[in-house]
Amino acid sequence: MRSVRSEHLIYWVVLVAIFAVLTIDIRWSADSLGEPLRLTGYLLYGVMFLLAFLNVRKRLSMIPLGRASFWLLLHSLGGVFAIALYWLHAPILWPSGVYEQAIAALVYGVTATGMFGYVIQRVYPARLTQTGLEVIYERIPGEIARIRSDAEAMVIDCTTTTGSDTLARHYFETFDWYFRRPRFAFSYLFGGQRGLQWVHQQWHTVGRYLSAQESAFLDRLTELGYEKTRLDVHYALQSAMKSWLLVHVPLSAALLVMATWHLILVHVYAL
Amino acid sequence: MMARPQRWDAPFGPEMSEDDVAELMSEHPISKINAHKFPEQTPLTGILRNDTRIINYQPGDLVVRSGDYGNSAFLVLEGRLRVVIAPELPRDLLGRQSVAKKSTLTALAQLWTNRRTPEVRSYRQDEATGVREGRDRATAVVFLQDVPAVLDQHQTAVLSEGALFGELAALGRIPRTASVFAETSARLLEIRWQGLREIRKYDEGFRRAIDERYRENALKVALHKIPEFSGLDETALQEVANSVLFETHGGFDWYISFQKMRGAGKQGAAHEPVIARQGDYPDGVLMVRAGFARVSVKLGNGDRTVSYIGAGDHFAMAELYDSWASGETHTLQASLTALGYVDLLRVPAPILEKYVFPTMGGRPRSPVERATTRTLTDDSLLEWAVNDRFINGTQAMLIDLDRCVRCDDCVRACASTHGGNPRFVRHGRTFDHWMVANACMHCADPVCMIGCPTGAIHRTEQGGMVVINDKTCIGCGTCANSCPYDNIRLVDIRDVSGNVLLDEDSQRPIQKATKCDLCATNPGGPACVRACPHDALRRVNFQGGAVFGGASG
Repeated sequence: MRSVRSEHLIYWVVLVAIFAVLTIDIRWSADSLGEPLRLTGYLLYGVMFLLAFLNVRKRLSMIPLGRASFWLLLHSLGGVFAIALYWLHAPILWPSGVYEQAIAALVYGVTATGMFGYVIQRVYPARLTQTGLEVIYERIPGEIARIRSDAEAMVIDCTTTTGSDTLARHYFETFDWYFRRPRFAFSYLFGGQRGLQWVHQQWHTVGRYLSAQESAFLDRLTELGYEKTRLDVHYALQSAMKSWLLVHVPLSAALLVMATWHLILVHVYAL
Repeated sequence: MMARPQRWDAPFGPEMSEDDVAELMSEHPISKINAHKFPEQTPLTGILRNDTRIINYQPGDLVVRSGDYGNSAFLVLEGRLRVVIAPELPRDLLGRQSVAKKSTLTALAQLWTNRRTPEVRSYRQDEATGVREGRDRATAVVFLQDVPAVLDQHQTAVLSEGALFGELAALGRIPRTASVFAETSARLLEIRWQGLREIRKYDEGFRRAIDERYRENALKVALHKIPEFSGLDETALQEVANSVLFETHGGFDWYISFQKMRGAGKQGAAHEPVIARQGDYPDGVLMVRAGFARVSVKLGNGDRTVSYIGAGDHFAMAELYDSWASGETHTLQASLTALGYVDLLRVPAPILEKYVFPTMGGRPRSPVERATTRTLTDDSLLEWAVNDRFINGTQAMLIDLDRCVRCDDCVRACASTHGGNPRFVRHGRTFDHWMVANACMHCADPVCMIGCPTGAIHRTEQGGMVVINDKTCIGCGTCANSCPYDNIRLVDIRDVSGNVLLDEDSQRPIQKATKCDLCATNPGGPACVRACPHDALRRVNFQGGAVFGGASG
């Protein structure tokens, strides 16, 4: 896993310091501040908008708004700051009101998906590199289709050349399923190697019934199986790295809407 | 079965006739060349028939442009031409674009001005002024619309019948140093570099004339830039210049054979033309004028790359110095092989001993010594980059795959700054956790620029980036076919309604060459680099070897 870069440590230290000062100030000066909730609420609302600006920055890449990596760092720091501020603002883990519970659910949902994204973006790239293969996500289905076509042609060739259909039968009972689409995604997401083990198992299962000539075909088929495994790893991990945002971004948008409505309600009824 | 391909299977000018050749043989200065000195398999008439072509220019037509890379020289057969001495012709007259940065607001406006369909051109095609179509797309030319004004405002020199020009750039693979245009209707003989090399090889007078011209014009300046020669006084420098021998190794069109060899998995020093072999006695120092060469040592059953040298670098200096200092003969510690095309200067050992070594501060370091402190693993990136010729790149897109989350933010950023279509593909050759993506590397030796008929692909005045002037690009595909790295793409262009523009005659889509321009017109530099949220993408200069721990030169 890629660790936090040393030059970024200073930002994390500053964040902790700011939060510590803020907490102490709010706790000790509650009387003089009057409404510490208003301060933490507005601050939290502002931080949430700052976090949302990362998405805006991505769409404004044509103008010099600084490096996206710096924005992502701010986003990560801001995310941690926001959850801490939230606990300062609503000092219980799970509120009692329905509306507040909805906001809390969104806060935790956004935080959890954000942390999930943060972690997988540090773990998965290196695991993709370790496959020894680099493939563009959109090309994976085409590559799988190519492998399947090669495999089928080879099995037919085996039957024609050797006059035996043992390998062909085994292919249509097992490998055909494997080559149809990406498989064993969960295993790859959690660092397993189910595909490799599965391909090896099929090789082992049928190998004892084949002649030397057929075994050569099986070896080539197994090689295609291993190639497909690498594609499956890419498909699983790249899918995860793309799709977590499909949860994180809508939840964030919903949270902003709910927080805005919360602010309006507070101003109308409580202040 | 098939006939073995021969050098002259594809003549330079297919329309050259025997009558043309006979006429040329009587023209000055070809009539002065001794045809009997040429071998039977490459007779002078054969060279004229296959390595030359006759081109007619109209008044105002630009024949060569300052800064262009070309692989041919020109002989004036009829008419009068002008070479522009000072000041240089403005870039717009040369068919080049002036790179002006957009304001931040204009850049931002791309958000709503970018069309839904990519590659829309809002200018009319007939606005692409200054391009005169030739008999085919490869012979289109840029022309000057007001020749008298150019003659009034610029100091020029006349080139008349019998004058040869462009030979130094053609043989040395260096940019043209001046622009030449036709003042009157002119008939020129264009000689491609292969023919020029043969004539130079077999005709003493021709060779002497070309070498002397280089010696007079550029050699001393080139020598003076090399630290080991910078301490020489004028007399000594002249003596060194007088003694220099000129050599070329490898093929000018190396990118064609390189792609084939790479496809066949034949890479490494064993498959490259040998310039000097490890263990041989050096008779002079070799200095690179253009191109690249690999420095390698024998290791086991193969060759280990320890360094590469490019323009301005030298080879065998340490061995010659040791021989001079110790009085004993030292053999070469490494081999030198041509990476594609390399143009060399050889300074003989006695000249070095007399003029250069006594003025040197100390013993020069050999690249082999550097290798002794590094493991094979340390230099494996170097070996890979040399094999794949990435050493040519000055702005290669290097992606750290251990950081890259494959989000394609870089691709989207590129598309949003280039009218909706990205100028690179986030895919390419990989080594360990590094990938060199298919993005223009803005090469030190840009073979894509050779042969562009309109000069649309050119270097910018500031920064030296290789860019394409969209208005003067005629979509001939010469640059895309020449790029050894597949980093130039031809795209179908569309009008503002989103319809693909069709050629009136052929009814086929009009194409333009596109490639990474490092966001030359956008504020803030390359959008791809700025857009990467994980700092995985960098533009790196493979020149100088900093990427490889100081391996070059």
